[in-house]
Amino acid sequence: MPFVVPMDRAQAEFPDYNFISPLTPSAQKAAFHVRDENGNDLCLKIISPLHSMDERFQREVQFLQTISHPNIAKLIEYTLSSRPGQYRHYIIEEYIDGVDLKEKLRHGECWSRPDASSIFSQLCDGLYECCNRGVVHRDLKPTNIRLKPNDSPVIIDFGTARHLNLPDITKTSEGAAFGTWPWFAPEQFQGTKYDIDHRTDLFALGILLYEALIGKHPFYQLGMTYEEGQEATCYSNDCFSDSGFLALPFQWKLILDRLLRKNRSERPKDAGQVGTILRRIGEIL
Amino acid sequence: MNRGPWHQCGDRSQKLVVEQIEHGAGVGVILSTRDLSYQKAEQYAAIYHDLGAQVLIDLQFYVPGFTNISLASYPTHEYRAKISQMQPLSDNDLNGLTVALQEINQNINADGIISPAIIYQAGRPDTVQTNARLFSISKQVGDELGIPTYATVVLGKSVTSSDKTLEEILSPATSLLADGWYFIFEFDPERIPSQVESVSRCCIAGLRLACTGRPVLHAYAGPMALLSFGFGANAAGIGHCQNLWKFCPERWQPQRRRTGGTKAPARFFSRSLWGTIVYPDEVARMSIGLQEQILTSSPFSTQITPGKPFLSITRWNANKHLVHAICSTVAEIAAVNEPRINATQAISLLQEAVKLHGTIVDTGLTLRDNTNVYQENWRLVLNELLENQSSDFDYLELLRT
Repeated sequence: MPFVVPMDRAQAEFPDYNFISPLTPSAQKAAFHVRDENGNDLCLKIISPLHSMDERFQREVQFLQTISHPNIAKLIEYTLSSRPGQYRHYIIEEYIDGVDLKEKLRHGECWSRPDASSIFSQLCDGLYECCNRGVVHRDLKPTNIRLKPNDSPVIIDFGTARHLNLPDITKTSEGAAFGTWPWFAPEQFQGTKYDIDHRTDLFALGILLYEALIGKHPFYQLGMTYEEGQEATCYSNDCFSDSGFLALPFQWKLILDRLLRKNRSERPKDAGQVGTILRRIGEIL
Repeated sequence: MNRGPWHQCGDRSQKLVVEQIEHGAGVGVILSTRDLSYQKAEQYAAIYHDLGAQVLIDLQFYVPGFTNISLASYPTHEYRAKISQMQPLSDNDLNGLTVALQEINQNINADGIISPAIIYQAGRPDTVQTNARLFSISKQVGDELGIPTYATVVLGKSVTSSDKTLEEILSPATSLLADGWYFIFEFDPERIPSQVESVSRCCIAGLRLACTGRPVLHAYAGPMALLSFGFGANAAGIGHCQNLWKFCPERWQPQRRRTGGTKAPARFFSRSLWGTIVYPDEVARMSIGLQEQILTSSPFSTQITPGKPFLSITRWNANKHLVHAICSTVAEIAAVNEPRINATQAISLLQEAVKLHGTIVDTGLTLRDNTNVYQENWRLVLNELLENQSSDFDYLELLRT
C-alpha cells in the first residue's frame, strides 16, 4: 500500500518549497516534484512514520549518500528532526526532469535499435555501479527509471535494494519476493534472499529491453494472476517464438536470450558486459 | 592470464618445468604448495619469471585434511588447518589470512591471485559462503597488489552428479566479481577421465564459466587440455604425472607405500594416439609405417626412432616428452582464439587417434596399457557440446568480437 500525503498538507509542512506535482509514491515514501527558493527543481520524499526507523531505509540513504553516478538519482539532503508539535523525516533528491520509462514503453510500439542501445547501455552503466558496490536494486521497473529530456536514464528508488556486503536484515527463512512481480526474475518467485544477486536486476533489464524492442512484455499479460506470472517467468520460453523477437538481428536476439535465462549462471556476468555489447551492436540494422 | 598451456607443478617437477619453458613449452606456471616449500617457491618463481612465464600459486585449501611439511611452511597454514577441522573462520582469522596471502603473492611476484577455496558440495550452502568470504579477501589482496584475482571453483562430485546440483553451485559461484576462474573438476580415480557423463559436465561447467567473459584456467587438465580450449578456457594446467591429470581428492591421501608406480615401465606419449605406448614388444610388432605415425617426436625423445629397436626411454625423459608433446599441441590449438574452431581441432585430432587405434587393432595387436578408452568418448562429448551448447558458443563469439 503506497504512503500517500495530500499535496496541500505537504506544502503546509514544507513551506520553504513550492510543490509542483505529486510523483509516484511507494510504501515507504510520498514523493513530490518541488522547487526551492533559488528555483532549483528537486524531488522531496516524505518518509512514512511506519518505515522511519527501518534498517532498509537507513541503508538506502547510506548508499545514495556515497554514490555519484549520472544514471543514479543523487541524494541532496537527508533530514530527521523532531520538535514539540513537529516531526519531519524526509529526503531531497535530484529531480529528474523528463518522464518515467513507462511513458516510453507503450504496448505495440517498438523502439529503434539505436535508441534502445543508447538508453539501455546507459542504464547498464548505472546498474554496473550498483553491482560494484554490492547493491541489487530488486525493483527495476518502468516507474523506477526516469528518462531525462536528452533520453539519459536515471535509476530511482532503492527502497527495496539488497546490500550484499552488509549483514542480513531479515531471517534466513524469509524469501526473495521483494519488488514488483511482473519484473521479477525466477529467483524472486522461487528462491531465498541468498539467490538474489546483481544478475536478478539483469533479468528485469532483459524484460524492459524486450518491452522496448518488441512492444510487449515477454511473460506478463493483462489480467494474469501472480501464480500465472510465476509460471510464465519461471518456465515459459514462448517469448522467443514471438514474430517480433524472431525478426530481430541475431546479436539482439542473443543478448535478450541471455538476459532472460532462468538460471543466473547463464545470464551475462554483469551490467558492464551488457552495456559494452549493446553499444557495439547498436548500429546493427 | 597468458593464453595457452600452463605447467601444473607437483611431484618434484620444478626442474622439469624449467627445461620445458627453455624449450618454448608453456606460458605460465602454477606452483603447488604441497610439493614445494615456501622458500623454494620464491626461488623457482623468480626463475620462471626470468624465463618469461607467468606465475601463480595455488594454496590448495580444497583438500584441507591433507598436510605435509611443505604446506606447513606457508604462513597460510594455520588457516588451512582450521578449515580442515571444520572450524568457521573468524574475522580475526580472515584478517590474518589476508596478510598471509598478500605476503606470499608479493614475495613470489605473482601475476594474479588464486583465491583459496574449499570444494563446493551440493546441499552445503556453507561451502558457498566460505568460498565467498575467501574470495572477498583474495580480491582485496589482488586489488592492493594491482593484479587480477581468479576465483577458485572446485566442483565436487556431489555437485557434478546432476544438472540441477551443478546449477545450484554455478549460480552463486559465478556471482563472484572475479577477474577469471581457476577451474577444478573432481573425477573418479581412473587414470584419465573417460566417462562421457562426467567429461561432458566438466566441459559444460567450463563453458559456463567462459561465458562470463572472464578467462578460465582449467586446472589439473593433463591430456584433457586438448578439450579445454574447445570449451572456452584460456589456459590449461599440464603436469607430468597421473595425479595431475584430473582432480581426485582420494589421490591426495598419504600413501603408506608406493605400489606399482616406481617399477612400472616408462610410458611413451604418442601425440597421434593422444595416449601412451608402453611396451617395447608392442612397438616392435608394428610396421615401420605405423611406427612412424605413432612415435611422434619431441626434443626429449631422441632415444626413440621408428624402425630401430624400441629402446626403453627413461622415466624422466618420458615425462618430459609427454609434457612437451601435450604443451606443443595445446599451444597450436590455443593459437586460434575461437572456441568453436578449437573444439573442431580437438575433434579432428581425436578422430585420427581413434582411427589409428583401429589400425593397430587391425594388425592383431591389443595395447596392454588400455590407452584407447577415452578418445572416442571425448570426441563424442565435444561434438555434443558444439551441437547442444550452440548459443553459448555464439555468446562467446559476441563477447570476443
